[in-house]
Amino acid sequence: MSNPAAVAKLIVQQAVDCGVELVASLPDNWMASVIREFDADERFRHLSVNREESAVGLCSGAFLSGTGSLAVMGASGLMTLIYAITKINYTYEIPLTILATLRGAPGDKAKFHVSNGLYFLPALDAISLTYKVIDSSEKIPEIKSIYDHSRTVSRPTVAIFTRDVLRGDA
Amino acid sequence: MSIPYRAAFQFLASRWSNELVVTSAGNSSQMWWEVTHDADRVFYLDASMSLSTLLGSGIAYGIPEAKVWAFMGDGAFAMNPGMLMVERDLDLPNLTHVLVSNRVYGGTSDLDLPNKSANDYVAMAKSMGLTRIWSFETMNELENGFDEAFRGNADGHRFVVLEVDPFTSDDHEIEEPPMDGPEIKFRFGRYIEKTYGARVFTGQF
Repeated sequence: MSNPAAVAKLIVQQAVDCGVELVASLPDNWMASVIREFDADERFRHLSVNREESAVGLCSGAFLSGTGSLAVMGASGLMTLIYAITKINYTYEIPLTILATLRGAPGDKAKFHVSNGLYFLPALDAISLTYKVIDSSEKIPEIKSIYDHSRTVSRPTVAIFTRDVLRGDA
Repeated sequence: MSIPYRAAFQFLASRWSNELVVTSAGNSSQMWWEVTHDADRVFYLDASMSLSTLLGSGIAYGIPEAKVWAFMGDGAFAMNPGMLMVERDLDLPNLTHVLVSNRVYGGTSDLDLPNKSANDYVAMAKSMGLTRIWSFETMNELENGFDEAFRGNADGHRFVVLEVDPFTSDDHEIEEPPMDGPEIKFRFGRYIEKTYGARVFTGQF
């Protein structure tokens, strides 16, 4: 039975384990439960941002203050970040971890995500952006290793969730 | 009315005390380096395209005891004015957003901004609910209003518009901050660690 709220709690607990305090998000339908969970949890300062680039700016600044942070968004939002990531996080070697969705994959019935199905992962590969696809709930604990890896390599990393995982079906 | 770019920055540098500074792509990075040659308390965020004040917001959020001046050109502002919505939600009392308005893309050959003569940055800020807004068009105004606009951890986020001239031909000859990105990160981050005790590079895991 689908239970996105339960999955959201698991993901949020990973953020706690990472030491995250600040969360910046721009919604994707699939991520809505996760964002609501962050928003309701007093252990975080959750901010809705006007565009995904703003999350990059905020989280990058938070790193420079020693504050743990996460950016949450959809695949389309991440596709808009090529400039911000390469110019800020690559140039200055600033860690950043993003939670995103695997839009356009088989099972996504939204025709307007066809382009993400074709180009999302290849675009990340093209800029050597490290990511892991979280396609089962058993892999949710990998969020911490993805977060820590960002700090190790001083570059951004991405945890990409499938629809079924975020719905609690995988 | 507008202030010569260099004069405005020379004045601000003369009043600079312990604030952390974030500069934006192009002119503000060049001129702040020119008038201060400081490489520890300044994060020269060249190639930021509208993210300098949000990066400054992240710093200010994490270190409430620090004061942060974050510069942004109006070319960058035009790309992402909605940033003020986020800054208003954060409402950080230790952040001053300094909008350096010269009505041109100063970092890329002074080509005109769209709608340059009609853009009203103060009105835009007001429309997003900001209340602590200052605008300076002359050196006298800036000198007289500086303390109120820039000083102290007051009630909340501050938005300051500096109407300045585009760079002169001599200004265009000044150098970029002569550092690669990682050096800027480490010098700034080490200063943060030493001054505020924050663990930027240490104890991450």
